[in-house]
Amino acid sequence: MEVLVQLIVAGILAGVSYGVLAAGLALIFGVMKIINFAHAEFAVLAMYLPTYFFLHWWGLDPFLSAFIALPMFFLLGYGIQRLVIERIIGTPEAETSTLIITMGISLLIANIILVIWSGAPRMINQPYTLATWSVGSVLINKAQTYSLFISLGLIFGLFWFLNRTMIGKAIQAAADDPEGSAYMGINLHFVYGLAFGLGVAITAAGGCLMATYRPFNPFYGETIIIILFASVVLGGMTSITGALLGALIIGLLQQVSALILPLALQNVAVFVVFVLFLYLRPQGILGKEGRMV
Amino acid sequence: MKIGDRLQGLLVSRKYLSIILVCIGCALISLFIGTDRYSQRILLLIILWAAASSSFNIISGYGGQVVFGYSMYVGTGAYTSVLLFKLLGVSPWLGMWVGVIIAIIIAFIIGLPTLRLHGAYFAVATIAFPLITVPILNNLGFEEIIIPFTGHGALSMQFTDLRYYVLICVLFLAGVLLIIQTMECSRFGYALKAINQNETAAEGMGIDTYWTKMTAFLISAGLGAIAGTLYSFGLLYVLTTFSGFGLSIIVKILSITIVGGIATLWGPLIAAIFLVPIGEFLNAQFGNRYPGVQDIIFGAALIFAIIYMREGIWVKIRGCFRTAPQRPTPSIKPGAMKDMEKQGALEIEPIKPRDVESNIHDPILKIEGISKSFGGVLALENVSFDVPKGKIVGIIGPNGAGKTTLFNVINGYLKPAKGKIFFEGKDVTYFKPHDLCRLGVGRTFQVAQTFGKMTVLENVLTGAFSQAINFAEAHRIAGGVVQQMGLAGRAYDQAVGLTIWETKSLEFSRALATKPKLLLVDEPMAGLNPEEANQIAEMIKSIAKSGITVIVIEHVVQNLVKIADWMIGLDDGRKVTEGTPQQVISNPHMIEAYLGAKWRERHVKS
Repeated sequence: MEVLVQLIVAGILAGVSYGVLAAGLALIFGVMKIINFAHAEFAVLAMYLPTYFFLHWWGLDPFLSAFIALPMFFLLGYGIQRLVIERIIGTPEAETSTLIITMGISLLIANIILVIWSGAPRMINQPYTLATWSVGSVLINKAQTYSLFISLGLIFGLFWFLNRTMIGKAIQAAADDPEGSAYMGINLHFVYGLAFGLGVAITAAGGCLMATYRPFNPFYGETIIIILFASVVLGGMTSITGALLGALIIGLLQQVSALILPLALQNVAVFVVFVLFLYLRPQGILGKEGRMV
Repeated sequence: MKIGDRLQGLLVSRKYLSIILVCIGCALISLFIGTDRYSQRILLLIILWAAASSSFNIISGYGGQVVFGYSMYVGTGAYTSVLLFKLLGVSPWLGMWVGVIIAIIIAFIIGLPTLRLHGAYFAVATIAFPLITVPILNNLGFEEIIIPFTGHGALSMQFTDLRYYVLICVLFLAGVLLIIQTMECSRFGYALKAINQNETAAEGMGIDTYWTKMTAFLISAGLGAIAGTLYSFGLLYVLTTFSGFGLSIIVKILSITIVGGIATLWGPLIAAIFLVPIGEFLNAQFGNRYPGVQDIIFGAALIFAIIYMREGIWVKIRGCFRTAPQRPTPSIKPGAMKDMEKQGALEIEPIKPRDVESNIHDPILKIEGISKSFGGVLALENVSFDVPKGKIVGIIGPNGAGKTTLFNVINGYLKPAKGKIFFEGKDVTYFKPHDLCRLGVGRTFQVAQTFGKMTVLENVLTGAFSQAINFAEAHRIAGGVVQQMGLAGRAYDQAVGLTIWETKSLEFSRALATKPKLLLVDEPMAGLNPEEANQIAEMIKSIAKSGITVIVIEHVVQNLVKIADWMIGLDDGRKVTEGTPQQVISNPHMIEAYLGAKWRERHVKS
């Protein structure tokens, strides 16, 4: 029983951390109908820079890095959207071509990290990395707990931005009907850049948080991306709320499956659920009517 | 228009011949290079990657369903044959086919749900499979498998002289190219191209889109598995999950296919000749110091190719040599249609519906109590009517009356919530569009749905295939229809560049080529000037005269009144009235629906 409680706690902690990344993916897909295959690589890049190296060079705390990563990766994402992806959007094969491009980007990022910083796995060593609180017999990791609260803050911020600001509403309008919103004076180039930048930024921040308690290597993205895909499919592809819910379910599933599966095969349980959803309920948990936010 | 069947045959056999010559050429190069392992290795890589990319091209290029996780099938082939060989001593010649079968089964499992869904699901699902296979194999202890050298030579596909491998791979490449060439000028190939262009229209032309895509996917997967076996035995000493299932495999295949030319026969081979040696050279020079350098090159090539050269090298090269096809003087004029009845049947056999067995007095189509709603909004409510054979039935109603929804339900694009549809006495309520097309229900669309990048003739050919027994007959039907509809001057032009009038003619031609008994025509006069609208009306009349029953939806009532034998008035998803055109247009409810209650009160004594 205690084992189960321990796993559920771990599952929630993991689920929320995936949720931040999945929310970015769902935002990008929801607005531009692009599957960003490089999504996890942006998170991994953020684990190296700013998180690992800012700590290494200047002793900057990784939790502060998460907030530095937000503007950094927003600019990176905005730039990539405006310089590369925008050239393809609007063509009939846009969906496929953007996936191919982001696949190229993902390979570039991973291998550039490999070439510059080597393939050795890295780990952040801060007092809270391995420290735990014990509630009864349940152990709760400190770094993960801090991350949980910052993650919730980021998600709340994203929702606030999309629902309460004019730009956020413009993004939602563009997601709903690009042509119509363009006629209403919304600059689609800007809004798409914004959405891509925002999606990448929140993911990068999520990556920084993840780096505080997990070891990582240049190809860590390949492990996370499948979790993100599963979360987003569970959430119905375009819904951010759905993606968060999906990530939470995936996180719980992944941790609780440790009762029967070896650690290395945790993601297999995730995968089985993912395939089942494709067969039985491809529209996701919230159904077809699920809105973006 | 008269491309003789023999000429066609000659052209095709010339293409086959060039494939065989190129492959013999590759084998000869290998023979003359001698035993230099490095050169042979590069030649082998070029041929193998060209073959793998061409296999990938079948579903992804021709079919337009990009299999991002193609490494799954390459890896499955590699792992199956290597494991069978190592653990059970099974000869790779046999293990290769076991690998093919397993790859096809996996492809079937992935395709079954996802090929029905929006393309994004297919992409995500295909990527997910190799990503998850890697940790499973690693966990099972198969991260690295040393391929044992048994010294049995040919039987265990192990040769010290690389030329044997080159020969085997050349045979494989020849096989793949011949399959693609055969496919390109077959009914299946046309169906695949049509799906890639416009899935809705393809379905309406009697193509079973789902199973066509599935078949292409299974062929690609099976060929990928063969490539995997040849790759691991010919080039690797140690098979790793990374070299079998890794992302770099798919990126290599993607960049070769895109740089060479999507959906082209020769593109992948040409791109492989360029890209593979560059990659190998970089790997040999810098691979030790910078292990990721080859992947960086291929990743960058991929991004570059997608942005700057979407059509690939091959199309560019071909463009330099090919002169523009001769074009007969364009004969297309709206007026040309008038003569159709008079001279239409002169040289070409007239478009006629297939023989009708059932009783002439039975209605050809019977609609019984059809209802359909979209998320709480009733689009159709209990609509019933009969369509008499050989007549023109007009359906009128203001915008949002449910006219197009009704067509989509009859045509099988939508399933009704309630009610039944009988075509020639047969219950077709839950039939798919392609089944209905084969039964004899043709359709044109409100917003024209042509296969933009195919020529006019190819467009019509796609429709003709649904009834024709063989290629020659399809060609004859299509040629006849194109001639008859006055599109002969445009036969070899891409459909995307046609005028509105020509596009409409094309839609009619394509639908007529399926030899329908019943033709559903959705707002044919929208966007045309009065003169052209009259021409369309004439065209519909002559179609009906040839024995085809026609149902026309039209927003503009005047044009319809002139040609319709029977009319049905829809408003708010309900059938309001039914009768002769005069009865329907003088019905107070219809007047009100179109012009408002005030107008009716002022002008109509009810």
